[in-house]
Amino acid sequence: MPAIEARRLRKTYKTTRGVFRREKVERVALRGVDLAIEPGELFGVLGPNGAGKTTMTKIFTTLLLPTSGAATVLGLDAVHDQWALRRRIGFVFGGDRGLYWRLSGLDNLRYFADLYRIPPEVTRKRIPALLERLGLAGRERDRVELYSRGMKQRLHLARGLLNDPEVLFLDEPTIGLDPVGARELRVIVRELADAGKTVFLTTHYMFEADAICDRIAVIKGGEIVAEGTPSSIKKVVQDQGVVEFEVVGMPAERVAGLRGLQGVKSVAVVDHELAQVVTIHCSSPADVMTQLGLVLDGMSLEKVSSREPTLEDAYVQLIGESS
Amino acid sequence: MSLIRAGWRAFVITIRMRVISTWSYLSWLVFPMLFTIVGLYVLSSGGASSSRLVYGVLGGGLIGYWSVAYLDAGNSIQDERWSGTLEQIFATPTPIWVILFGKVCAGLVFGLVSFLPNAALAYFGFHAVLPALDPWKFVISLGVLTLSFFCIALTLAPLFALWRWAFSMLNGFELGVYILCGFMFPIAALASWAQGVAGVLAPTWAVRALYASTVMQGPHDFTLWWLAAIGLSVVYLAGAYFLYGLVEREARVSGELALA
Amino acid sequence: MRRLALEVAVFVRSIWLQYVALFQWATINGYIAYKLLLPVTQILFFVELGVYATGRQNALYFALGNALQLTANAGIFGVIATVANERQYGTLPLLLASPANRLVTFLSRAIVNVIDGIATVVVGLVITVILFGLDLHRANLPLLGLCVVVISLTTAGLGLMFGSIGLVMRDAIILANVVYYLLLIVCGINFPVSRLPFVLQLVSYSLPLTRGVQAAREAAAGASIGQVSGLLAGELMIGLLWALGGYALFRILESWARRGGLQEAY
Ligand SMILES: Nc1ncnc2c1ncn2[C@@H]1O[C@H](COP(=O)(O)OP(=O)(O)O)[C@@H](O)[C@H]1O
Ligand SMILES: [Mg+2]
Repeated sequence: MPAIEARRLRKTYKTTRGVFRREKVERVALRGVDLAIEPGELFGVLGPNGAGKTTMTKIFTTLLLPTSGAATVLGLDAVHDQWALRRRIGFVFGGDRGLYWRLSGLDNLRYFADLYRIPPEVTRKRIPALLERLGLAGRERDRVELYSRGMKQRLHLARGLLNDPEVLFLDEPTIGLDPVGARELRVIVRELADAGKTVFLTTHYMFEADAICDRIAVIKGGEIVAEGTPSSIKKVVQDQGVVEFEVVGMPAERVAGLRGLQGVKSVAVVDHELAQVVTIHCSSPADVMTQLGLVLDGMSLEKVSSREPTLEDAYVQLIGESS
Repeated sequence: MSLIRAGWRAFVITIRMRVISTWSYLSWLVFPMLFTIVGLYVLSSGGASSSRLVYGVLGGGLIGYWSVAYLDAGNSIQDERWSGTLEQIFATPTPIWVILFGKVCAGLVFGLVSFLPNAALAYFGFHAVLPALDPWKFVISLGVLTLSFFCIALTLAPLFALWRWAFSMLNGFELGVYILCGFMFPIAALASWAQGVAGVLAPTWAVRALYASTVMQGPHDFTLWWLAAIGLSVVYLAGAYFLYGLVEREARVSGELALA
Repeated sequence: MRRLALEVAVFVRSIWLQYVALFQWATINGYIAYKLLLPVTQILFFVELGVYATGRQNALYFALGNALQLTANAGIFGVIATVANERQYGTLPLLLASPANRLVTFLSRAIVNVIDGIATVVVGLVITVILFGLDLHRANLPLLGLCVVVISLTTAGLGLMFGSIGLVMRDAIILANVVYYLLLIVCGINFPVSRLPFVLQLVSYSLPLTRGVQAAREAAAGASIGQVSGLLAGELMIGLLWALGGYALFRILESWARRGGLQEAY
């Protein structure tokens, strides 16, 4: 039995907009997601902002009801078995909200331990162990507002682990952390998975998913566009190469010209200071390089290079392709 | 058992947050005193006739008690929404009503304390006293009043979680109750439709009994008033049962808990 | 000339932004509740209290006083809330550093609240007049209107002072709350100033509202402009003094902040 499973999961938000003339707006956040995550897996959901990662996480953690489809965790229905499920899962949402800033870290943990209905004798041992484990020991009596961003995130994680959950949901846990703090957190998350917990992690950093996840699903506009191990996802761009160069002032018709070249899969133009960085995915970089001069006649190209595709390229292509 | 502990912890945490928050001193200490001062000045306008001054002795305290008891739980829901913890507590295996139970009780404690400085102010500042206090009836009436405040607060608090705009609406209700339930003047002078509305508010009956327990002139029908207040409170609780179900469902449909 | 046009443009734009900020409730329900329900209930409470204590013939006395006091709500909280918002969104340093004339920025803030205050009073009064069947046929209505405008201006003047304090004091809104309710006690809203201890009477007359409310009551009783001009002039003076004080404080705090002395401001 999978630890986490979604079948044809859909979610549509209904909201209203406007102060005087109120209009109803429907926003589809998930359009039929299927997933099966095995116990002990560290599963990454990778996608840009607005892709539906948070929505998916909240459905599994019983905070949201799907519009249709089924979501089960540990064999329990996330819609109807919420009370039993809440005791057995933990979740951490990224960002520094969601803690009582004016209370100490210890008080935060004690409060949530009671809300998770954990017996006091268990709490007494578990809280110090978690503080130790997450490097907060010694600071637990300080008010949370005095904590660094990284410490707050680790306190969040401690809170998520209070009930020793079998499945842990992490929604963009490293968002806003500095690189060192983010790395520390990733190490801890990997260790948790190695210790046998099922971890569901969302992120919009490709390298993060690549670094720690056993398997990845790439989500875009509420749909899963690719799923597999990091290396299998790289296969999407296996037979491809990448040509990159910098140029100043890139008219749209020239971009169209590049797209028209034989073997070109995608062309991305990103502003970089005064210039633009152009990235071309194509089946044969050598051919493209020779034709660049024709299409971009009269423009001065700099730092022209070709390279092997990375997971990032696979991600960029997956995300770009389905739009 | 673990639910009781969860409710108790919510109570303790709320008390501690109140103790360290400047705002809370305003709501249970400063504002009621300001109301007491205005009330006593106005009530003593036509000379210090003691039957009217009674309303100044208890009125400010009642206002303080009510506004803390009623609004504290709701306001703290609003605070939790801002701080992002509303969603966190909602996702725990403790039903939200247990947490609110604790929060409302914390409000009652602060609210009760708020009688003391107001009565002291009335006594030392205006020589106003309770002319014929019947301690037992007074205490029972206060108990019944507490029950009615508790039931209203517990019933309405989930609305704060559900609708952000409910916040100002429910704040208006806070003031409306000062008028309708006769906190600082008897409701006999109100328009008859207003008296009708007042009749379905449990505190109206409890407050009536409370004031009656401090003055001599009758006729007083304490048992009837107490029973009316208790009966209405029970009706509110039945409504609460329905509302909590609605909140549990609606919050999970709209995802509104997360928005600041 | 161009400079003037520019200033005017900044001014109008700034007023508009202020008003949008006021509309933060984002739903019409919330706005009505906040702008109608709360103020009107507050008026009704004190009118009922006054009627109980002194008789129905005095309803107008209490209705006028408490309705006019509501201008202070708009004046004081409006300004303070904008400052608080700007701090929350981190735009406060931008405001302080903006090259636009600071007096312009400052006044636009006040004007929005003046308009808002007038609207609140008018709505509050109309509702009370209807509910209590108050008799205004002897009233000098244009003069009463003038009084409302004057008081809105002067309480906004007081509000500017708190806006400035709000720049440095995170909890200035708490202070403003207390002051707002203190006005209920000291400004002759619900009982004559003469019943207060002497020291408090001095405070009364150094605050806006006190004279304005007196003038408004006389206007409601049919006084002509000549009879209340002294009171209104006094009211305007006091309002102006508070506004100037607020602006001076603003300038001082601003230069302090730029020298890095005011961490709290951000
Ligand atoms: N409570 C809500 N009400 C209405 N729309 C929402 C709500 N939450 C998210 N959305 C919309 O649903 C889509 C998916 O959002 P989300 O799940 O937060 O994406 P992600 O976490 O991947 O950034 C977005 O278009 C977002 O605007
Ligand atoms: Mg998200």
